Amino acid sequence: MAKTVPSPVSKRTRYVYAALGAVFIIVVWQILSMVTDPINMASPVATVKALGHLAASRTLWSQLLITLRRLVIGLAIGAVLGLALGVLAGLQPRARSFFEPIRWVGMTMPAVVLAVLALLWLGLGNGPVTFLVALIVMPGMYVNTVAGILAVDSRLLEMGRIYHFPRRLLFAEVYLPGIASPVMAGLTLATGIAVRAVVLGEVLAAMSGIGHAFSRAESFLNTPEVFAWVVVLLALMALLEFGALRPLKRRVTRWQKLKEG
Amino acid sequence: MITFEHVRKTFDSLVVLDDLDLRIAENEIVGIVGPSGVGKTTILKLITGIAAPDSGKVEVADRRIGYVFQEPRLLPWRTAQDNIAVVLRAQGMGKAGARQAAGSWIERVGLQGFAGYYPAELSGGMAQRVSIARAFAAEPRILLMDEPFSNMDLELKGSLIGILQTIARERKTTVVYVTHELIEALQIADRIVELTAERRLRELDLVDRRKVALDWLSSSLGRL
Repeated sequence: MAKTVPSPVSKRTRYVYAALGAVFIIVVWQILSMVTDPINMASPVATVKALGHLAASRTLWSQLLITLRRLVIGLAIGAVLGLALGVLAGLQPRARSFFEPIRWVGMTMPAVVLAVLALLWLGLGNGPVTFLVALIVMPGMYVNTVAGILAVDSRLLEMGRIYHFPRRLLFAEVYLPGIASPVMAGLTLATGIAVRAVVLGEVLAAMSGIGHAFSRAESFLNTPEVFAWVVVLLALMALLEFGALRPLKRRVTRWQKLKEG
Repeated sequence: MITFEHVRKTFDSLVVLDDLDLRIAENEIVGIVGPSGVGKTTILKLITGIAAPDSGKVEVADRRIGYVFQEPRLLPWRTAQDNIAVVLRAQGMGKAGARQAAGSWIERVGLQGFAGYYPAELSGGMAQRVSIARAFAAEPRILLMDEPFSNMDLELKGSLIGILQTIARERKTTVVYVTHELIEALQIADRIVELTAERRLRELDLVDRRKVALDWLSSSLGRL
């Protein structure tokens, strides 16, 4: 039987369907809020009102800034360390073997366990939350970087050796662009994980930030505010993905688009 | 310029070269012909120094080497001009100077207007021209070419061989050109050695190139 090849869709069509998907979520949300107790689910309208209230009282902006700062610092530390150790392990098999148990522990440990340990070791505040985000982000970045280094085209490396590329040039011109794709994929994944980690950290080990405000609203049974914070988190994720990650990815992998084109 | 004495090279248990003697003089353009898998590329790798013989001696007077591979091996994330500039930077030239010198090489190989193109935007022949320009830009004393024009049509092959010959003669570069196509080697080389399936080297008599070509063609047709 002949396989059917899906026909390509235009950019406009993709946007229209994505918008329909978003509308679908809001409609289902509205229907559920109408058939369940308001204490369990706030309606979209009640959520928007709560959001407006938070924005007017400036709580939204102050908490958002606190969370964003913890997120960005933790993400940067975790991503840079994961990248640096990944490069080292990718180039040195002995270092790879040495880091293997550490990677395994880092990837296996549940986030909530790490959050509790961070609270135990560092107390409440910025420290444990940033530490948790960095710790959770690092293994994924490390694994993607190692995979990227090992997949660098050996024919290009041979070309570099024949033309006597100094080590620094070989790294900057062959390895670094060669690992851009897996590293960007790792960074995208890490950012999603980091948002979850920062909220978890703030729920358990902080007295400020979106996670703490969310937890506080929940303890006062203020369901519209709980939902408002969820919307803020989604907006934060969208800001990071569409405002930073995608433009960065487009920039570093421009040549791949040409190849596909 | 290049001397092989009793060279033996194996990969695991496979003997690729055995008791190989070869001498290539300065400014010579030497073709090495032979069927696939007899060790032609291994000879080039031994000359570059990225591979070492198991026994015997390989002497290369000057390791300033340019290499044109079977496939262009350009950095896909760099433009044509930057692909040439990068080998100049490897020699210690500054970024701006390297780009400028690379620009003149782009023109030399007839790629005016394509300096800012990425390899994915170039045809196979154009990419190979960039690869030739990169090899010459490195100011090599020895240019190694590993079946650089295979899978190309005759017209394109002819024009690239022309470019190559002109620059090699002008710069007095020693060229070792590996191919399995004798006709191609006859077009370019001063001297041709054949690496036989039994891994023996045989110097071809090129007094009558036309006859050598016809003999090779008739023996190739006879095998059909």
